Amino acid sequence: MLRDTFAVARGVAWRQLHNAVLNPAVFFPSLAFPLLNFAAFAGGLARVREVPGFDFAGSYTAFTYVFILLQSAAFSGVFSGFGVARDFETGFTRRLMLIAPNRSGLVLGYALASATRWLITGSIVTAVAFAVGMRIDGNGVDLFGLYTLALLVNFAGTLWSTGVAMRVRSQQAGPLMQMPVFLVLFFAPVYVPLALLKGWIHAVATVNPLTPLLEAERGFVSGAPAHVAVAYAVGAALVAAFGLWAIRGLRKAEAAG
Amino acid sequence: MQAPDNSIEVEGLVREFKKGPRAVDGIDLHVDPGEIYGFLGPNGAGKSTTVLMLTTLLPPTAGTARVAGFDVVREGPKVRKAIGAALQEAALDPLLTGREHLRLQMAMHGIGGDERRRRADELLERVGLTDAADRKVKGYSGGMKRRLDLALALVHRPRVLFLDEPTTGLDPQSRAALWEEVERLARDEGVTVFLTTQYLEEADVLAARVGIIDQGRIVAEGTPEELKAEFSSSTIEALPANVEEKGAVASVLERFGARTTGFSPGTVAVQLASSDGRLTEIVRALDAEGLRIAHLQIHEPTLDDVFLAKTGRHLEGAESEDAEADPELVAT
Repeated sequence: MLRDTFAVARGVAWRQLHNAVLNPAVFFPSLAFPLLNFAAFAGGLARVREVPGFDFAGSYTAFTYVFILLQSAAFSGVFSGFGVARDFETGFTRRLMLIAPNRSGLVLGYALASATRWLITGSIVTAVAFAVGMRIDGNGVDLFGLYTLALLVNFAGTLWSTGVAMRVRSQQAGPLMQMPVFLVLFFAPVYVPLALLKGWIHAVATVNPLTPLLEAERGFVSGAPAHVAVAYAVGAALVAAFGLWAIRGLRKAEAAG
Repeated sequence: MQAPDNSIEVEGLVREFKKGPRAVDGIDLHVDPGEIYGFLGPNGAGKSTTVLMLTTLLPPTAGTARVAGFDVVREGPKVRKAIGAALQEAALDPLLTGREHLRLQMAMHGIGGDERRRRADELLERVGLTDAADRKVKGYSGGMKRRLDLALALVHRPRVLFLDEPTTGLDPQSRAALWEEVERLARDEGVTVFLTTQYLEEADVLAARVGIIDQGRIVAEGTPEELKAEFSSSTIEALPANVEEKGAVASVLERFGARTTGFSPGTVAVQLASSDGRLTEIVRALDAEGLRIAHLQIHEPTLDDVFLAKTGRHLEGAESEDAEADPELVAT
């Protein structure tokens, strides 16, 4: 059964990546969005670094880079949901459902393709960050932590949007896929550390599941990892919860025929 | 070693849609291993819904179905490994080539390496797509897409093949080639074929047995010959040379059977009680009464007659099929 699942996942991932290469319009938004944000935040808000109480050890570019990296991971995942919805609209999903001995492999395939696409996006974002002078104080292990945590965010984003696509089965579900992710991202301590946020946004950011991930990622970049266990636990919990959401969505799609 | 079970067993299969009628209303059927079973009915009769349930793409509301020995609800993965299907809409990815579609499908079935290449080449040749194999599917004609769809259905050497209106939109040459391939699969490879169609000729030519479905229920089942023999006999149709003699012609013909609706305007038609040797007698009887006939035609019974007998309606598309029939035409 596991063999069947991986065979299906490999096939689906191959097709998704093949089409992304042939149709860059699919790939472009998930790359352009973080790069534009990075240019806006790192360039325009650099003096925020001088606010009293801004306790991040590295540069503001590095501080922003972490958010942009997680944003790119999340939105790469979300955009993959558009592809799933498109497959429902064109009827190709029915073919995949018919071929796949184990249909859970379809969800895994979409997730693997999305992760691979994000690794390319993440590498480009990182290269751009280095090109504009970002310095990373963490070592190789910290970098590994940085990317694996972002990968968990990518998986969570993919599984969320796949679950929505499996339920709505139309690209009209696009806003529904994007909006909650957008809100979670921007209700986190994006521009300044959590301690500098005041009022309702501080309260929301404190309970936002993305906050511990952002703080751990910033720790990796500055070479002073913090809240790592909590961040991985939250990341794993998000993947598990949205994995369940996606699989239940798949069951709903199966029941709908 | 026990031979694999290639049969299809269906009992009381039902599919209801929310706020809609029962698309499939308690059907029972059995298809033997290696048999070509024709599932005939007009649009909306429940053919495709039945196929969707048997191919595990739609769960039944009630009833049971076993395909290749596996329950379609509880053993879906095993069913999917054993079957191939070419559905009504050949949903293909316009960005992939024909060969890439085969590659995708084989990868998902765990077929890799040399075998994948060999099998792809073999199937592409078999469906006549070798030259177009490396072209993107968005440039394929409808017929090429249907042929690729058939190749995709055969990728993993299925034991049971579902073909949902496979020749709709095909030119006569492609249709004949597909019929030949379907016959070969059943004859040489022992593949069980479940074929839905609204073409009477297709069911008549290909299927060893036919099930006729209407409004979600199977209204008749048997070999085409049995069905035609059971539900109808030949019809004789005469066009009087003088329209005023229509009544006299009718009274002569009614000696040989019961009056029925004619196929053409101005004709008199009678369903014969028995076909053997009646034509000569009929011509003599008409001649004896001094009646002149412009055309005299015998229609052999078709599956449409069976459908008409069971439902009171003609099958959609029956008109064109009738035109293609090979009537015995005698001018007197």
